[in-house]
Amino acid sequence: MDPALASLVAPALNALFGIASLAILALGLAVVLGLLGVLNLAHGELVMVGAYCAYAVQSQGLPYLAAVPLALGLCAILGWATERWLVRPLYQRPFDTLVVTWGLSLLLRKSAEAIFGLGYKSLNEPVGGTIVVLGASYPRYRLLVIGVSMLVLAALVAWYRRSRTGTRIQAMVGNPDLARAFGIPVRRYASLTFVVGTCLAGLAGVLIAPLVPVQPFMGLDYILMSFFVLVVGGLGSVAGLVTGATLIGGANSVVSALSDSTGGYLSVLVLAILFLWLRPRGLHAR
Amino acid sequence: MRADRAVAAARIVAALVALAAVPLVVGDFWAYQLGLFYLYAIAALGLGVCWGRAGFLPLGQGLFFGLAAYLSGLALIAFEQRPAWLLVLLPLAACASGALAFAIGVLVFRRRGESGPYFSMITLALALLAYQLANNWESVTGGFNGLKGIPGLPGLDSYSAAYAVAAIALVGATLLVAWLYRAPLGVLWAALAHNERRVVMFGFDTNRLKAVAFGASGLLAGIGGVLYAPQQGLVTPQLVGFALSADLVIWAAVGGRARLLGPALGAIAIGVLASELRDRLPYWEIALAILFIAVVLFFPEGLAGAFAPLTRRRRRSAGAGTGTAHVAAPARAEHDDAARLEIEDIEVRVGDVTILDRLALVLDRPAIYCFIGPNGAGKTSTFDVLTGELPVRSGTVRFAGRALERLPAHRIVRLGIGRKFQIPSVFPQLSIADNLAIAVWSARARPLELLRPRLRRWSTPLLDALRERYPFLADASRTAAALSHGERQILELSMALVGEPRVLLLDEPCAGLSPHETAAVIDAIRWASAQRRATIVVIEHDMALVRTLADHVFVLHNGRVLAEGSVATVQADRAVQAIYVGAAK
Repeated sequence: MDPALASLVAPALNALFGIASLAILALGLAVVLGLLGVLNLAHGELVMVGAYCAYAVQSQGLPYLAAVPLALGLCAILGWATERWLVRPLYQRPFDTLVVTWGLSLLLRKSAEAIFGLGYKSLNEPVGGTIVVLGASYPRYRLLVIGVSMLVLAALVAWYRRSRTGTRIQAMVGNPDLARAFGIPVRRYASLTFVVGTCLAGLAGVLIAPLVPVQPFMGLDYILMSFFVLVVGGLGSVAGLVTGATLIGGANSVVSALSDSTGGYLSVLVLAILFLWLRPRGLHAR
Repeated sequence: MRADRAVAAARIVAALVALAAVPLVVGDFWAYQLGLFYLYAIAALGLGVCWGRAGFLPLGQGLFFGLAAYLSGLALIAFEQRPAWLLVLLPLAACASGALAFAIGVLVFRRRGESGPYFSMITLALALLAYQLANNWESVTGGFNGLKGIPGLPGLDSYSAAYAVAAIALVGATLLVAWLYRAPLGVLWAALAHNERRVVMFGFDTNRLKAVAFGASGLLAGIGGVLYAPQQGLVTPQLVGFALSADLVIWAAVGGRARLLGPALGAIAIGVLASELRDRLPYWEIALAILFIAVVLFFPEGLAGAFAPLTRRRRRSAGAGTGTAHVAAPARAEHDDAARLEIEDIEVRVGDVTILDRLALVLDRPAIYCFIGPNGAGKTSTFDVLTGELPVRSGTVRFAGRALERLPAHRIVRLGIGRKFQIPSVFPQLSIADNLAIAVWSARARPLELLRPRLRRWSTPLLDALRERYPFLADASRTAAALSHGERQILELSMALVGEPRVLLLDEPCAGLSPHETAAVIDAIRWASAQRRATIVVIEHDMALVRTLADHVFVLHNGRVLAEGSVATVQADRAVQAIYVGAAK
C-alpha cells in the first residue's frame, strides 16, 4: 500500500462521513418540505428526541439497537399528532405551519430540559475501536454511520419510486385534488409522509448521538444546517441533497479548520445567502 | 380633525398618568422590575411591525436588542466621567441596531418570492452567530460571564428614575409605531403582507419597504437594548442569542401581533406572570410553549384581539372623520405623449416549453387594443413580460424609447405601465379608501412622503369622477373584503386607472361578471380611454365584447402574432378561422 495514498484515505473518509451524516440529518426535513411544502422547524428537536432515546437506552444498560424502535415509535407518534392537530388545520396558511412547528420545537426542547436537565450527556459508541481501511485506521462506528446513511437514503428512494404507496404520494404531490378525485386518501398519505419525515429525524438522532454532546439545544444547529443544505442543493432529488450536504458541510469544516467554529458558521450563512440571490431554487431544482 | 387630535392627546396623557401611578401602587422595587418588561415591550413592538404588519417573521430579534445593549454598556463604562458624550453615543447605539437590521433586510430581501421562511431562518442563524461571537470575543464582551459593572444612566440610577425612563421610552416607542401605522408606509406594509405582487404593480419597491420595516424593528429593539444595559448593569451573551429572540416571538403572538399595543401587552403580561410563576410552577416554560401553540392555532388575534370589540366602534367613527376631507394629490409627473410600445422578437422559455416564440408587435397610438387567442397562446405571458415579471431569453421591449426587458417590475410600472390582474386583486383587509389611496400614491408619492399620514386623504380629479360614477367607492368605512365580486373588479379597475398609467393592461376584466356588471366595466374602460387618451390593452375571450371595445385586435397563437387589424379584418382571416372554429361566430 502506497503510504501517500494511505494518508489521503482518512481525510477522504472524514469528508464522506461529514456528507453522509449531514445528508441523513437533512433527509427528514427534505421529505416534509419537498413533498408537503411544510418547513418543519421542530425537525432539529426530533433529532434531539432520537438522541435522547439513545441516551435513555444506553443508560439503562440495554443494547443500543433498542434505541431504534424506541426513537421511531416516539417520533412516529409525535409526527402523527403534529400533522393531525398542528399542521393540518394550517395547510391553507403555509407560513403559520412554520410558526406552529417553531412552537413545537420550544415545547420539545423545554420538555427535554425538564426531563433530562440542561447538562450535556455523552454516549459510548456502540461499536467501538477502529478498523484498517486501505492502510489507514478509521473508527468503526463512523464507517457504520456512513453505511447506514447510504442504505437509508437508497431504501427511501427505492420505496418512493417503486412502491404503490410511493406512487400514490407522488400523485398527491403532483395534484392533490386530482389524486383525491381518483380515490387516493390524500389526508392519510400527507400524514404518512409527515411521519416518515419525523421518523427519519429520529433515526438520524440515534445514529449521531454517540458522536456529539446530547443536550436540549442541539436541535437548533441541526435545523439550520439541514435547511441550508436544502437551500443550496434544492428540493426534490437525492443529488440535490448530497450536493447541498457536500457544499455546506465542506464549507463549514474547511473554514472551521482554518479559523474557528464561528468562522465556519459564518461561511455557511454567507453561502446560503449567496444561493438565495443567485439560485433561489438551489442547484438541483425539481 | 381637531377633535380627533384632542382625543389622541387625551389618550397619551391618560397613559402617562396611569404609568406614573404604577410605582405608587406596587412599590418602587416592583416598578423597577416592570421597567425591564417595558424595555422588552419596546422590542416586541418592533416584532409586531414585521410580523403583524408586514407579514414576515424575524426569529433572531435578540441580536439587535443585545447589540445595542453591548454598545450602550461599553459606552457607559468608557464615558462614565464625561456624561455629555452619552447623549450622542447612546442614541447612536440604538441607531446602529436599526442600521444593521436595515442592511440585513436589503441583503436578504433582494430577491422577491419565497423569501418568508428564508428570512426567518437567516435571522435565526444570525442570532446564533452573534451568540457565538459574544461568547468568544472575551476582550470586548466579557465572554460567557458578560459585560459587568455597567454604571446607571448619570443622575437617573435610582429605582424610580429607571422606571420612569423605561415608561417614557415605551410611550415614545408606541407613538412612533402608531405614527408609522397611520402613515402610507404602514398601509403599504399591510398591503404587501397580503399581496406583494399587487403592491409591486403599483410601482413600489416592496423589497425596500420590507427592509425599512425590519430596520424599524431593529431600531426599536435597539432602544430597548440601550436602556437595558444601564438598568441591569450587566449584559450577557444570552441577550443576543436564541432565548430572548424566542421570548419576543411568544410575547408578540400571545399579546396579539397584528395590533399596535398587542406585542407590548404580551411582553408585560407574560413578564409579570413569569416572574410570579417561574419558580412556583415547575413546568411554566412548557405551559408557555403550549399557550403559544394554542394562540397560533386558535387565537391569532391574541390578547389585544380580546379587547377589539371595545375599540372597534370608536375606530369606525374616527375612520368616517378622516374619510371626508380630501386633499388634492400632486399631478403625476407628465411624460411626453409618445407612449409607443414596441415588442421585438421576444422569446420566453420555461424549461423546454416555448411560451413566446419571437413575438413582435407595436402599439403606436393611444387606443383600445384587444389580445385574443386560444388558451396557451401567450396572452397573459406577454403581459408578464411587459411588466418585467417574466424573464426573456432574447428580444427587446421598448417603451417611449427605453428598453424595459432588464428593468425590475416596480420601475417599469413607474414609467407608466399599469396592470389589472385576471383574478381581482385588491387588498381585502384594507378599507376601500386605503385601496384607492395606494393607487393614488403610485408614481406620485416620493419615498419620504410615505411617512406623512396626510397622504391618506389624497385624491385626484379622476378619482373624484370615479367616486361619482360608482358611489360604493366613496364608502370609507367598508373594507374591500365586504365587496361583491363585481364591485371588486370595478375597484381594481379604478385602482389601475387612478395610477394614471400611459399603458394599461387589463387581463379579462369581465371574467365572472353578470351581464349588468360587464356593461359597467366596459363602460368604465371606454370612459377612461376617452378621458385620458391612454393605451389600453385588454385580454378578452368574449368576441361580443371585443367587437364593442377594440380599435385594433391582435390574434395570438403559439406565442406569436397570427394576425392583426380591425375586428372585421381579423375575423375574415383564414388562418384565424382555422384555429378559432367555434369561438368566433
